[in-house]
Amino acid sequence: MAMKNVKSANYWQVDHKVRNIFEVKGITVLSSPRAWEKFDWARKWFEEKPKEGYFIWVKKQVDFPLVTCITIATPKISQNLNNLLVIEKGIKAKAIVTCNAAENKLCGKHRAKGKLILKDDVSLEYNHFHKWGEKDFVSPDYEFILGRNSQLLYTYQNLFPPENLQLKTTIYSNENSSSKLNFIINGLNSNIRIQDLIFLKGKSSQGIARLRLAGRENSQIEAISKIFAQAPSKGHLDCRGLLLDRTAKISLIPEIVCQNKDAQITHEASIGKISEEELTYLRMRGLSETEAIDLIVSGFLNI
Amino acid sequence: MGKPLLKIKKLKVKGNGKEILKGVDFQIKKGEIQALLGPNASGKSTLVHTTLGNPKYKIVGGKIFFEAKDITKFPPEKRAKLGIAMAWQSPPAIKGLKLSQLLLEISKNAETTTLPPPSQPLAGPHSSRYLGESLLEREVNVDFSGGEKKIAELLQVICLCPKLVIFDEIDSGLDIKRLTNAAKIIKKELVNKKVSILLITHSGAILNFLRPNITNVMVDGKIICQEKDYKKVLKIIKKYGYEKCKKCKLLAG
Repeated sequence: MAMKNVKSANYWQVDHKVRNIFEVKGITVLSSPRAWEKFDWARKWFEEKPKEGYFIWVKKQVDFPLVTCITIATPKISQNLNNLLVIEKGIKAKAIVTCNAAENKLCGKHRAKGKLILKDDVSLEYNHFHKWGEKDFVSPDYEFILGRNSQLLYTYQNLFPPENLQLKTTIYSNENSSSKLNFIINGLNSNIRIQDLIFLKGKSSQGIARLRLAGRENSQIEAISKIFAQAPSKGHLDCRGLLLDRTAKISLIPEIVCQNKDAQITHEASIGKISEEELTYLRMRGLSETEAIDLIVSGFLNI
Repeated sequence: MGKPLLKIKKLKVKGNGKEILKGVDFQIKKGEIQALLGPNASGKSTLVHTTLGNPKYKIVGGKIFFEAKDITKFPPEKRAKLGIAMAWQSPPAIKGLKLSQLLLEISKNAETTTLPPPSQPLAGPHSSRYLGESLLEREVNVDFSGGEKKIAELLQVICLCPKLVIFDEIDSGLDIKRLTNAAKIIKKELVNKKVSILLITHSGAILNFLRPNITNVMVDGKIICQEKDYKKVLKIIKKYGYEKCKKCKLLAG
């Protein structure tokens, strides 16, 4: 998966140390503290003087993906990242972003505040992979600011959740921009709180958030999805949970707020269990009960 | 023709608290083709699902043997690994799971059995030949037409390298062209390889393509008739309906 690209990553950080920065023509890659010093204009996007994290500024079209990897590798490490990605007008980009724990029981903390600025006519496919240890605390808070006519396809995938995950994602959509958000989370022995907010600020902007949440044993998942339609715009929330164990709990809270009479926003939410019929069907094909459940869950999480 | 492959003895089954099978005796030998006819709610599908180990149905009496082994309490996957397969009448849709992915999973599992390996890679050229690439890339049974479902079912059971295949209403919802095609595949991939086949059918349309050695009639949870000439059975059912079967001197016994 994304990890294969670590050595050629544009930015690779382990614990607090920057292990690799790889720049190509048209892309500036710096640590956030360095960017704070170097670019006055960038300061307004950082809420505070950053201590760690990455700064990536895409000024020219490139035909390969931007790759970042942030790892925790030391027990009880506490990361506090401020990340900034700026993509200039008219550029099409793809990002593969991995955040992970090198080992299972580090009891580490990973806090990340990120701003992603898509200027006018930008198209970004942002693939965000998380893989954590069972005792970690993880709190990413990302804001995407979408310029006019820009497009964002954001996929967050977490099949190995930490003990505690607080995931916040906010989208500000300007005129004619569109965002599609996919959150794919496999809860297991974890407390997960997801908050995704889409502000449809510009005329003809669009936003869709799709959540696929699997609740395995000892997982508590709460997902709050909101769309605020402030202009003539369209939005939709599609929240689905699959409860797989008696000790799991999923709570889905979709909310749609309309502040413009020409806006159209809708939502759907459902939580179900694995169908006995599907399970039996696959078992009659020679799959064990566990294999059949895994196959059904992977299908459910496949957006 | 030797020992029975599948033998069902005095099988009594309950579903939703109600007795559905009331003492079924049935057996099929290696390489044999049999048909099971019966009116709606006579217990045909219950018999099939119970034979395959569907936990929805509770066995309250009798036993099921496969190759002389008592499999009455075996879970479905163990029965599948022994070589019993079923093509569902109305298979469930599994969202997000591609048919090609499922076929690969089935083939992987089938390879671990003691059954002979398929003559060629089943999830590969086999499947695309019968299905076309587009169906393989679609989610299992999601928005499949009736014909697509039947062909997808057929392909899955072939991938299992079975010794016995039970087709639950393979001929329902298939036009004559698709039925001919399905029968051709069954002949080539199963009949020619001496796989035993039980055809559950309402209409009997499939019987003209796959002539059964024995035709059984089930009424009210019991097999009341076994006859070698399927045409004779179809003729009587067409003329008098299943109610007459109970009294039919020609066929009984």
